[in-house]
Amino acid sequence: MSLLHFFADPQWIIPNIIAPFIFTAVALVLFRNVSGSVALYAVLGGGMMGMWGNTLYGSGFALAFDRWNGTIEYVLATPSRLVWIIAGRSASNAVLGLVNALAILAVVMIGYGPLLAVADPILFLVALILTLASLSTLGVVLCSAFLLSRSASVMTNGLEFPIYVASGSMFPIALLPFWSHPLSLSLGPTWGIDAMRYAADSTYKGLGFGYWIDVSVVMISTIVYLAIGFWLFIVAEKKVRDDATLVEY
Amino acid sequence: MTGRPEKAITVSELRRTYQTSKGIFRKKKEIVEAVKGISFDVEFGELFGLVGPNGAGKTTTIKILTTLLTPTSGNARVLGFDIARDVVEIRRRIGIIFGGERGLYYRVSGRENLRYFADLYGVPLAKRDKRINELLDMVGLSERADSKVESYSRGMKQRLHIAKGLVNDPELIFMDEPTIGLDPQAARDTRAMIKQLVEKEKTILLTTHYMFEADELCHRIGVISNGEIAALDTPSGLKRFVKDISVIEVEAFGIVDSDIASLRQRPEVKSVSSNLEGERQTVRIQTPKGSEFIPQVTKILSGAKIFDIRTKEPTLEDAYLRLVS
Repeated sequence: MSLLHFFADPQWIIPNIIAPFIFTAVALVLFRNVSGSVALYAVLGGGMMGMWGNTLYGSGFALAFDRWNGTIEYVLATPSRLVWIIAGRSASNAVLGLVNALAILAVVMIGYGPLLAVADPILFLVALILTLASLSTLGVVLCSAFLLSRSASVMTNGLEFPIYVASGSMFPIALLPFWSHPLSLSLGPTWGIDAMRYAADSTYKGLGFGYWIDVSVVMISTIVYLAIGFWLFIVAEKKVRDDATLVEY
Repeated sequence: MTGRPEKAITVSELRRTYQTSKGIFRKKKEIVEAVKGISFDVEFGELFGLVGPNGAGKTTTIKILTTLLTPTSGNARVLGFDIARDVVEIRRRIGIIFGGERGLYYRVSGRENLRYFADLYGVPLAKRDKRINELLDMVGLSERADSKVESYSRGMKQRLHIAKGLVNDPELIFMDEPTIGLDPQAARDTRAMIKQLVEKEKTILLTTHYMFEADELCHRIGVISNGEIAALDTPSGLKRFVKDISVIEVEAFGIVDSDIASLRQRPEVKSVSSNLEGERQTVRIQTPKGSEFIPQVTKILSGAKIFDIRTKEPTLEDAYLRLVS
């Protein structure tokens, strides 16, 4: 349903294709004289922007949309657990984001030539799928707050770039201030992006733990996010039923 | 739970308070008691009505029984399941139909709305589309099923609401003001559908503002006022509350508030209600004096242009007004 609604509004092209593409193109222009795997950062960064943006808006906005639309009570009144409904929406939006990422890659390849050669496509694909799962479950965790909050759109806007920057999508987290590193390392997508870079570039050093440690952390973080999300949704659902705040908007 | 429970709904001493706040910086908390310890039962196959003025506690009661709100105290069982403990079991077995424009996904078709909710209710895929087609037929939306909901009229949206509320084939249906805002024909169609559901032995709990609707549809009615059940009886039983009075109905133009106040001050008058339709006002005066009181009425309303004045038998609305005033 969230995808049907998403495509029913032609404006989806702006945040999901045009904005990430412009971001990728700007990064490629900025880094054109820097040696190393610049294209890797630019393309993965643009792709990550599409995936995270989709997940965040998909889970956050979909719930806010249900609130505005008056459908949230009907959805909550079904026997399906809200956490699974949101997990499904997050996952479908993350997959949509993946399609965006591939579109960006294709456009970049056409515009700038074959910049990106993936050393191990299978491992790259595994890391990509795990990163998608990690993003989806992170979306579920954040979405529990959207259930309680009347200002999901403000929170959605506020959370887009911090996660994008903190996960090291566009540039290495080593460039970020030291105090921000614990936050970066606590994010599953940080490790997923690092794993993708290991798989794409055999000379990549990254966080320094290697591909398999990275994917293990992504998997563990996904399970942890899901468990936290599940618990938070139970708490949040009980709270909105106790406080009668479900239909406030 | 084993076997069928005795009652479809059992409500006992149900209470619900809301906490609100005033001010922005120095917030002052305020407790509002919306439902004040109500008790009632609903039989299987019964169409039970809850009527009452705005803010009386009808919607709060429905939301508690449909597990959307928790009660502050008291308890209730729906189809034998406890509303606090057995939330999923209750949700699986009930249908919810609220009135109003909201509650549908506008940018997709009516059929897609029904499919989505069928999936959320876990309707098996093998049965889903057949059931949806049957429901669309029942509510007369088959021809427009694949059009976007945003193109539907208000009446069509309400019919889709009804189909949505039945998508899981519920044993018990909660309807909160299902005819609100509908034109007379659409409201009549909706009432016909509600009657069909009763014929199919569904149990229905209905709230409405329209007394003639409650009179036409409900087996029993609970009049809820100020969070409490003021009376609970069959429609004819409730009318007995006003058997000692007659109603003088006046159709006029130019009746002012002070005229209504003057009527209310008369010791012979039990209650006065006023309704404005276009430029024509209808005033209903409950009095034990009957037609003997008409000369006093015409005297009090001498400043207005009276088109018609007559005595009538009291209706359910008169009983309701007596109970909630």
